[in-house]
Amino acid sequence: MSLRIVVCAKEVLDPDAVNNYALEGRLVIGDDGKSLTQSSIPRLMNAYDEQAIEAALRVREAGVPCTIAVVSVGEGQDILKHAASLGIDEPVAIHADAASLDHHGVARLLAAFVRSRGGADLVLCGRQASDDDQGVVPALVAEHLGLPVVTIARSVDVTAAGDGFAVRVVRVTPDGDETVAVPAPVVVTISNELGQARYPTMAGRMAARKKKVAVVTPAELGVAPEALRPRITLAKQFVPTVKGACEMIGGGADEAAAALLARLRAENVLR
Amino acid sequence: MSRVVVCTWGTSGGAEELLTLARGVAAGLEATLGWVVLGPAPHDVTAIASRQDVPVVDHIEHEKLQSFGGDVAVAALADYVRQHDFRVLLVPQTFDARLLAPRLAARIDAGVVMNGLGVVVEGGALAVTASAYGGDTRVVYTLAGEGRFVIGVATSALAAEPAPNPATAVTRHCAVDLAAVEERVQVVTRSEQTGPRIEEADVLVAGGRGLGEKANYRLVEELAEALGGMAAASRPIVDEGWAEPARQVGLTGKITRPTLYIAAGISGASQHMVGCAAAKTLVAINRDPEAAIFRYARYGIVGDCLEILPALTRAVKG
Ligand SMILES: Cc1cc2nc3c(=O)[nH]c(=O)nc-3n(C[C@H](O)[C@H](O)[C@H](O)COP(=O)(O)OP(=O)(O)OC[C@H]3O[C@@H](n4cnc5c(N)ncnc54)[C@H](O)[C@@H]3O)c2cc1C
Ligand SMILES: Nc1ncnc2c1ncn2[C@@H]1O[C@H](COP(=O)(O)O)[C@@H](O)[C@H]1O
Repeated sequence: MSLRIVVCAKEVLDPDAVNNYALEGRLVIGDDGKSLTQSSIPRLMNAYDEQAIEAALRVREAGVPCTIAVVSVGEGQDILKHAASLGIDEPVAIHADAASLDHHGVARLLAAFVRSRGGADLVLCGRQASDDDQGVVPALVAEHLGLPVVTIARSVDVTAAGDGFAVRVVRVTPDGDETVAVPAPVVVTISNELGQARYPTMAGRMAARKKKVAVVTPAELGVAPEALRPRITLAKQFVPTVKGACEMIGGGADEAAAALLARLRAENVLR
Repeated sequence: MSRVVVCTWGTSGGAEELLTLARGVAAGLEATLGWVVLGPAPHDVTAIASRQDVPVVDHIEHEKLQSFGGDVAVAALADYVRQHDFRVLLVPQTFDARLLAPRLAARIDAGVVMNGLGVVVEGGALAVTASAYGGDTRVVYTLAGEGRFVIGVATSALAAEPAPNPATAVTRHCAVDLAAVEERVQVVTRSEQTGPRIEEADVLVAGGRGLGEKANYRLVEELAEALGGMAAASRPIVDEGWAEPARQVGLTGKITRPTLYIAAGISGASQHMVGCAAAKTLVAINRDPEAAIFRYARYGIVGDCLEILPALTRAVKG
């Protein structure tokens, strides 16, 4: 009996590149008033989703026989090629215009995909997408499938239990680590504390070339267009302005230190 | 008449700030303002509700809510909503809320938006301003149709203002049916963090990659100690193991609100600033005069943090 894992992966603009533009004060919104336009910002897999794949591969390496599918809603197939090169079994694109969907539509499609497979034992997602930071899709998918959901995991362990699987997750909470136990099937979201995701090997890249990305449509998943009509639409995006009012303190290290302390004390920030 | 309802539990904080925001939304939608408290209510609940002109506070108490598992909380709220409908439900965006809000929304077929910074009504439609790209941008979402919406709001930047006409609030106890709910996720162990937390510290000294190497984090700790504060860190140096994860400030770390925040060797990426922008006074030490952190700072020192941190420690010890 093998564990059926589905990893949900989203294509995003490289957040580091976005950051660099922002740090230089050169981030620009396009004429549509909504999208970031810099053509030099690469598109790649949401880093938490890469770590979700990593979590799946670690479960397999721990000796649990697995089938791992990676599914993405949207047009980009490059991230699925990347997933394939990491040695997952099945890359699947749900072909839909991601820009016209809201999170509810995305979650409906992902849930429908899992159902179309006769279910999954473990659905792994990222804790949030680094573009919208919403972190809602995994919980929506879980509710649609009637599954429990465990968020912000640093590790996921699976063991056989009876004729099913038992899952143990270490969650990163504001109060420290929390270990929880839950029977499969379950949705788990992965956080960066899981650690660095692996890079594809040369052999992996070669094998991925032969692997085809399966493409399915919403209709094939039995999801009608009405069910995908967005309730939430992006009306506008803008770059917030930070009003700088920084007083620079000069001089050598000791001089500057004394001057800073004097100011902080004068303003009662320090006693 | 439709309702705009604020939902809080535990000591999530930010209730009064969120009620002030909700009052504006309720006025725009010509709706009434409500407040639902899940589990034990804060001691000053009636006083806050009165100040914010909330006539009725709904209180959901149930023994199964004692441990506050997700399944129980979602079921309790879904049953409450069945009895007392709403148009907009606002929750302060805590760690738990990030999970509860979307689960509840899916359960009752409502729309959900998180990371809200502001909510307004424009021409009868709701518009939510939220942060995106870790704070690099803001997005405005339009919430269409007559349906219900659940909105998570970051309350740290909101201000509480008393209503012009305060109410005399009363509490209504709302019974919910949780007989059929069993928590599916069981907590096995929980590492109770002991000692002070950076979220509550009054003075924070944070170090970043500009420290160069792990051994230099000591300079941050020494200044923090001299100031009677705590040491904090940016994410890369936590990932590198120079500092403990509980020290991490930012989007995926802690949201802090100290009186004084000294950032040393930190560039000022928005994912970091999310966690310290609420500091009353921010001091930046960076050797790059163009570093973005200076845009947020009240005071800046351009120079090598490996020299300036010890100089500050010496000056404090005087
Ligand atoms: C989804 C996502 C979530 C994230 N969450 C967080 C988060 O929660 N918290 C967080 O902090 N980051 C987070 N990040 C990372 C964030 O984008 C930045 O990469 C990070 O904050 C940079 O850390 P830093 O400022 O320490 O390092 P750098 O950006 O490398 O900056 C180092 C700075 O030190 C200065 N410097 C170098 N040497 C010296 C010296 N000797 N003296 C003085 N100054 C010197 C440099 O000029 C530079 O400005 C996140 C990123 C993503 C994509
Ligand atoms: N278009 C998508 N395709 C596949 N998975 C997605 C998509 N959007 C979101 N997800 C998953 O849901 C997680 C949280 O996304 P979000 O709710 O958008 O922050 C991501 O880390 C992914 O695992």
